[in-house]
Amino acid sequence: MKAELSPRAKVMVYGAMCVLLIPFVFPTWWMVTSSFKPVSEIFAFPPRLIPDSWDFTTYGQVFTLQPFAKQYWNSAYIAAIVTVGTMGISSMAGYAFARIRFPFANAIFMVVLLGLLIPSEVTIVPLFQLFLKLGMVNTHWPLILVPIFGAPSVFATFVMRQFFISLPAELEEAARVDGLSRFKIFTKIALPLSRPALASVAIFTFLHSWNLYLEPIVFLSSADKFTLPQALTQFTDAYGGPMWNIQLAAATLTALPVLIVFIIAQKHFVEGLAHTGLKG
Amino acid sequence: MAEVTLTNTRKSYGNVDIIHGIDLDIEDGQFVVLVGPSGCGKSTLLRMVAGLETISSGEVAIGGRVVNDIDPKDRDIAMVFQNYALYPHMTVATNMGFSLEHRGTSKSEISERVNWAAGILGLTPLLDRYPRQLSGGQRQRVAMGRAIVRSPQVFLFDEPLSNLDAKLRVVMRGEIKALHDKLRTTMIYVTHDQVEAMTMADKIVVLNAGRIEQSGTPLELYDRPANRFVAGFIGSPAMNFISGKVHADGLAVSGITIPLPEKAKKYIGDDVTVGIRPEHLTVEEGGLAAQVLLVEPMGHETQITVQLADNPITGLFRERLALQAGSGVKIGFKTEALHMFSAKDGHRLE
Amino acid sequence: MARRDSLAGYLFIAPQLIGIIAFVLLPLCLVFWYSLHEWNVLANTFTYTGAQNYRMLLEDSSLPSVLGATALFSFGLVVLNMSLALLLAVLLNQKLRGIAVFRTLFFSPVVVSLVAWTIVWGFLLQKNGGINGMLLTVGIEGPNWLREPVTAMISVIVVQVFKNVGLNMILFLAALQGVPNELYEAARIDGASSFKQFRRIMLPMISPTILLTSIITIVGSLQVFAQIAVLTQGGPGVSTTVLVYYLYQQAFQFHFFGYGSTLSIMLFVIVAVLTFAQWQLRKRMVFYES
Repeated sequence: MKAELSPRAKVMVYGAMCVLLIPFVFPTWWMVTSSFKPVSEIFAFPPRLIPDSWDFTTYGQVFTLQPFAKQYWNSAYIAAIVTVGTMGISSMAGYAFARIRFPFANAIFMVVLLGLLIPSEVTIVPLFQLFLKLGMVNTHWPLILVPIFGAPSVFATFVMRQFFISLPAELEEAARVDGLSRFKIFTKIALPLSRPALASVAIFTFLHSWNLYLEPIVFLSSADKFTLPQALTQFTDAYGGPMWNIQLAAATLTALPVLIVFIIAQKHFVEGLAHTGLKG
Repeated sequence: MAEVTLTNTRKSYGNVDIIHGIDLDIEDGQFVVLVGPSGCGKSTLLRMVAGLETISSGEVAIGGRVVNDIDPKDRDIAMVFQNYALYPHMTVATNMGFSLEHRGTSKSEISERVNWAAGILGLTPLLDRYPRQLSGGQRQRVAMGRAIVRSPQVFLFDEPLSNLDAKLRVVMRGEIKALHDKLRTTMIYVTHDQVEAMTMADKIVVLNAGRIEQSGTPLELYDRPANRFVAGFIGSPAMNFISGKVHADGLAVSGITIPLPEKAKKYIGDDVTVGIRPEHLTVEEGGLAAQVLLVEPMGHETQITVQLADNPITGLFRERLALQAGSGVKIGFKTEALHMFSAKDGHRLE
Repeated sequence: MARRDSLAGYLFIAPQLIGIIAFVLLPLCLVFWYSLHEWNVLANTFTYTGAQNYRMLLEDSSLPSVLGATALFSFGLVVLNMSLALLLAVLLNQKLRGIAVFRTLFFSPVVVSLVAWTIVWGFLLQKNGGINGMLLTVGIEGPNWLREPVTAMISVIVVQVFKNVGLNMILFLAALQGVPNELYEAARIDGASSFKQFRRIMLPMISPTILLTSIITIVGSLQVFAQIAVLTQGGPGVSTTVLVYYLYQQAFQFHFFGYGSTLSIMLFVIVAVLTFAQWQLRKRMVFYES
């Protein structure tokens, strides 16, 4: 299959890929362009691939109809804390499970792996009751604590463990001969070398937190506490119908930064995933 | 610098013994090579000296101090690993100074020592590079540099040359030996390659299945192998073996008689295995009739395999013989150079 | 050393283990406990009712259609996702200029915010939305995608597939690139056509990846919530009400926490069985993987 293709075959492959690209790329294009369309043009026929007239007021309205800046900040800081926390906890646990021999390690690992078996949707009811008792409903605590310590970080631990297993044992032996303690071996040798695995853990943890939808709508009830995915659905008119152009402007603001970061660092995203060999 | 003493050292995993009670004395400044086939326990033994494997029973002492329960870092040893174990995220200089950094050595002394080691090994221009930017031989040298900066009492080498190509291996062999001559520190070196063992060692220890088969200087082992295993292991191409019964006029093997040295008279009537090194084969008129199976000319010498009474026998000749596969040849032996081993347990017969 | 090392091991895993106990295992026990109770939020009563909630599972007239919708959704999603991912991976596995750009673009929806992606598709799929607009320019009158049972189901599947197929595409691509080129070359010398090479070399070589990713994809499909909540709210009728969405409705819209917990247990059992199957498969695949 890897043989050099004939010119005709090349044209066919390019053609097929261009057609297939439409549903992948067009929605994003439509989202961005429609966010600049005035209401009158939103459902115009024939559809306008580029707005006839550009309406920039939609972006202003995003911030006046909702405390959108606050919501943006909510999503950003929650995702940041969750990402850093998960990296810390999962790299430590993954390292211990891969590299340190201690009694019951395997049994404990199986217990931790149960986290992969139990999607957060299963435990959402008792978690809600739990955080209700703790007085943490309508705070960001559940959105921070559960991903960092609970099921979502288990996948990260698994990825880190797989990585540390593949790290040559010789390096650690050399470090032991060089006089490093267990903790120093972890911080000075293992952790710096795990950068690729940590990067993919960071990317997927961030995306997971950034996209979280069920948990916010269960746990949060006031607009200034909302995170972005939840906030996006709140741009509705008096009858509960969506205000499309404003919603799309908010969606653009939500999606575009991540997309741009992705395009800049796409090699890391894609290769990180391929190396991980798995997804959550 | 120090001597290393192993006393009845054992290693077992559960009920399985990997190392069976090894006794070994390594003198201060000696270059000792542990050699044996894969799985013989030589690396395990080295790692027990390093402290990377626990010692099930017996004692390991370095410089007169029993180190069984002492951490690797406190044993005053340095180790060169098979895959070098260079820290990929550190420069050559940092790699070399890393162990000193963790022993509270001052910055200026670290750089002084690193520069000294780099000078010895010709690494000075490479100090700021990362391991991935180095060739195999350079990495090997950095791994040695990392060991020598500490001036440990004992150097441990775990098959350090096995990842290099044949040519480079010869070069590095020489460099390690030169390093030993310069530092005169005790070195323990593990390899499966008997050529490395022969060329480098002051003393070779041949291990097999967790036991010492023989230890001694390279030439002692070559000239007087204690048993059939050592005889077959040391020397390349390997020694030929022919088994038969000893008669008054020689060894009777399926219809032919191989002349034996005088001392064989003691064993008349016994089953004996005779060992013949390839270089002790001769082509002579009065020899035994054999058939040529294979001729391998190498230029400086010619290796010939012949069929002699159902045994394939390899001979090595300095002269260029005009022989062809399939032709007949008369084979003789340098009788006084033959080795004899008991057919029962393989021990050397004098 | 050994004892100090054990201590280090326990310290390293402690945060994770405590977290799992607090936020996964304890809630799992609670969910089982709740499922044995009748919980009236308004009257604030919590009464033990034994297996009553489980009996309700059998009597719940919506449940068969919910499970049907769940199965249909998962099945459609997996089939479409796997075939599209494989097709894209094979296309991207060619030596062509600019192939990395295509790879990036196919992968890009994965990083687009899920709800944003769903909203724009919801917008496109309106009766007078972009898709029907395009269709009308070529003279086809499109359906009201999200308001008719069949097209609504197709819509939620397709939207989800385009969002996430990039993940499986990359995994397949990595698997394809792991197949040694020599095998293809040997097959070509043996006279195998391109199609034969695909059928007899490529597919068998990456079959472990295909199997594992399909199970991961099924398990993932069982957790799809936001897309349904935003696009169809489970409608029209219950035609796109999958198990997770039904669970959410019962527990958090109708406040039947007891019954919601019973549904959670059901979801857990399904996911557990599938995950267990995946592990078993993985064990048997070691031969291929190594």
